[in-house]
Amino acid sequence: MLENLSPTMFTAVALGVVMFVLFMFLPALLELIKPRDAGPRKIIEDTSGDRKLKITSMEETEEIEVDQAIVKRVSSILSVLPNLEA
Amino acid sequence: MTAYLCRHYFFTLKVLKDSGRQRKETRLESSIFQPSVSILIPAYNEELVIGRILQRMSELTYPSDKMKIVVINDASTDATGKIAKQYAETHSFIGVLHRNEQEGRRGKGAALNAGLKHAEGEIILCFDADYYPQRNIVEQLVRPFEDPKVGAVQGRVTVLNEPNNLVTRLVALERIGGYRVDQQARDGLGLITQFGGTVGGFKRSVLESLGGWDESILAEDTDLTFRVYLAGFEVRYVNNAECYEEAVENWRAYWKQRYRWSRGHMQCAFKHLSKVLRSTNLTVRQKIDAVLLLNVYFMPILVLLSWIIFVPLVFMNVRPGLGMGWAATSISAYSFVGNFAPFFEVAVGAYLDGRNRAHWLTSLLIFTFLYNIPICTKAFADLVVSKISGKKGARWDKTSHSGDGNSYIMN
Repeated sequence: MLENLSPTMFTAVALGVVMFVLFMFLPALLELIKPRDAGPRKIIEDTSGDRKLKITSMEETEEIEVDQAIVKRVSSILSVLPNLEA
Repeated sequence: MTAYLCRHYFFTLKVLKDSGRQRKETRLESSIFQPSVSILIPAYNEELVIGRILQRMSELTYPSDKMKIVVINDASTDATGKIAKQYAETHSFIGVLHRNEQEGRRGKGAALNAGLKHAEGEIILCFDADYYPQRNIVEQLVRPFEDPKVGAVQGRVTVLNEPNNLVTRLVALERIGGYRVDQQARDGLGLITQFGGTVGGFKRSVLESLGGWDESILAEDTDLTFRVYLAGFEVRYVNNAECYEEAVENWRAYWKQRYRWSRGHMQCAFKHLSKVLRSTNLTVRQKIDAVLLLNVYFMPILVLLSWIIFVPLVFMNVRPGLGMGWAATSISAYSFVGNFAPFFEVAVGAYLDGRNRAHWLTSLLIFTFLYNIPICTKAFADLVVSKISGKKGARWDKTSHSGDGNSYIMN
């Protein structure tokens, strides 16, 4: 098969192969000579679960505060009730 | 090879399609599921790295009263046992199992089986000594076990010493393709998600019902993956459970590690292929994926065979069409199967990770691809010889670790 190629064809094929290899490896060579990738990858400390926990506890705190307000209001009402009876 | 190309093409599309959705799903998870956990850390001559992982274990956010760490000192001749003992003395949840020369050094599977006898948790997690996990990794890894169908779980492995040299950078690319795209897609598509032997674990009841690790298989992790699926359970992949590993740093260490993987994987293929095809617990899609997964390490041998057949045809000028077939095979082999993860998969993984130029090295994976051809061929030849001669298989050859990755953790 190779013998059937004319010298011009052979040169063209060889040049094509060289160009293909050069284009394929050029980005890799550039990155190897002057690395610009900030490796290693920083592992993600996914704290979505923790955040949820904090949100949950904040909600609970708010509920306690609301409960205390109601308790205060009810107690103030109750403190008036004996007076009403009187 | 076309089947592998299609498979990886679907995987890449699936991950690209789901990349936005998964982030939302993660944020919606709210359950607090805290089963008791035992973490097994097998270690043989790991004095350079054992302190690093034990220090990290002491920093995990999982409640220490629900967690027990078992270091299996597998008859080390260096200071591994001493360092582990020091940590055990200052942390009540760390224990050390010292194995003597008669019991130890029989491979990772044997060491893990020994550790399993001392593990009491509902969930058994495994970490290699050179690993360095994120602080909330246990929470992430146990979460899938809420589903009773889940028998095992796998987290993501990220290369720590990536900038060291060309080998570590190429291994990092393989890991990106293998975990960020391959494992993620298999999990999303309900195919065969692979337990990788570390950064993962099992429901204790499932592991015990399967009889623990098979000590005769070099790829004991792949073997357990298939046993879990054949028993009717699933393996889940958690991309958010990330852990650093120290990658091999030279071509010799790469050969040793990949030889063990390929030979072990081929053992699994011989052991499980017929069981997979006959299984009633696997779907048709899972069976197809399982067959492709089990045979993946035979692909480089097929590539070599095709070259051996076609190269003489080019020079003998038998038939020009056949000669061109050689060129087509070599190019397609490189692009379709690559180094077990086609290069577009690696590049998409790097893109999804937000890496700006890591994927520029993708073309250099041709060296690992070419290097894997003699590795897999030798592994296959040795396996056939050992089967015919009836001799015991290769011993479990551990990868040595230098602890060089520490500088990147400090940064």
